[in-house]
Amino acid sequence: MAWIAERRRRSRFESVVLPHLDAGYALARWLTRNDADAADVVQEACLRAFRYFDSYREGDAKSWLLKIVRRSCYDWLERNRPSDLVPLETADAASSGTPLPSTVDTEQLLQSRSELRRLDRLIEELPPPLREALVLRELQELDYRQIAEVTGVPIGTVMSRLHRARSALRRAWDGKECR
Amino acid sequence: MQCEDARPRLDAYVDDELTEAERAGLRDHLAGCADCGPEAAALQRLRDEIRRTVPAYRAPEIVRSQIRFTLRREAAAMGAPGAFRAPGWLAYAASILLAVAVGSGGTFLALGERQDDRVATEVIDSHLRSLLGTHLTDVASSDQHTVKPWFAGRSDVSPPVVDLSADGFPLVGGRLDVIGGKPVPALVYKRRQHVISVYVLPAGKVDLGETLTRRGYNLRHWDDGDLGFWAVTDAGPSELADFEHLFRAATRG
Repeated sequence: MAWIAERRRRSRFESVVLPHLDAGYALARWLTRNDADAADVVQEACLRAFRYFDSYREGDAKSWLLKIVRRSCYDWLERNRPSDLVPLETADAASSGTPLPSTVDTEQLLQSRSELRRLDRLIEELPPPLREALVLRELQELDYRQIAEVTGVPIGTVMSRLHRARSALRRAWDGKECR
Repeated sequence: MQCEDARPRLDAYVDDELTEAERAGLRDHLAGCADCGPEAAALQRLRDEIRRTVPAYRAPEIVRSQIRFTLRREAAAMGAPGAFRAPGWLAYAASILLAVAVGSGGTFLALGERQDDRVATEVIDSHLRSLLGTHLTDVASSDQHTVKPWFAGRSDVSPPVVDLSADGFPLVGGRLDVIGGKPVPALVYKRRQHVISVYVLPAGKVDLGETLTRRGYNLRHWDDGDLGFWAVTDAGPSELADFEHLFRAATRG
């Protein structure tokens, strides 16, 4: 019967995907920057994931869920807070992994604020593409390949975004000069 | 290895993304270089500091139970016709109330920054409470001429009442809830197995724009004359939008 199949599918989803709910929530929390919105977005993302569950193949369930959560976050931001989505300078095209001259005003922006700011606030002020790369690496401990998979960009772009995120943070945080 | 080869690899070095050979070469360079060595150490310090001080967000229990509920409803909708639905929302409402009680509302207080947020939160809480016990309605009737007079003298707002059965939103009754410390009339409608509560308050300067989704409930607000209406339900956003449209048309006519 159909409902037995659905029930089986649901319990498989719960055991394969839901163990990564904390990771999904954390990503949504960093991208939306508040609890209530993160809760809404992550719920929507889980429903989406459940509907697409047939497209999930054995493998990295965490990256799979994070990818959907991220997509839901961006959809949500577009609808509700488009001003958060300032385009990141296209310098990312240089996916050679070479550190790039910092283009966005991020560093200036961060530097103009107090140096004693808390690191989490500084991370929240990074543009979303830099913020997500940093959060996925430092807090979710994903490797470059997984971050590339989740964010849909080449590994070289992941590297340059991480570099830019860290440079911005260091300049704001400890005022140290770095290239 | 020279500095110009080492520098672009420092991030990958602290991220442990180099091959063993690259790693060994870089390690030698770092040990002897007065520029690159401290640079790598600074990156490492930043990482340690982030992991030490930055909050590790975890999904609150209420979000977890909400998701399980949504999945159950979704699976039921895909599988069997209706069989699991009614128990679904009841169990969900119960789990929400429990979590609210256990968490003493801490998370949700964060919602209440703005005044409209506060009303929205109270409206949803109140709607949830009504689903739990025996207090869905104080006056149970599909007759608008029974429901409307019931509110007279019980609140300082006299809500317009219409039955929308013909449009698939039958009137179930009315009840009195407390929002912002005052008794507020709530009209109760059904949409298939879903309940819609409409709270009627004096009009404010609130504009939610479109449908607001909170904790899986959809909420719409509109003003009409000197009354403000807040409609909340677990039915879908488009159904709620239809409801608003029908309700406004019928109360105006």
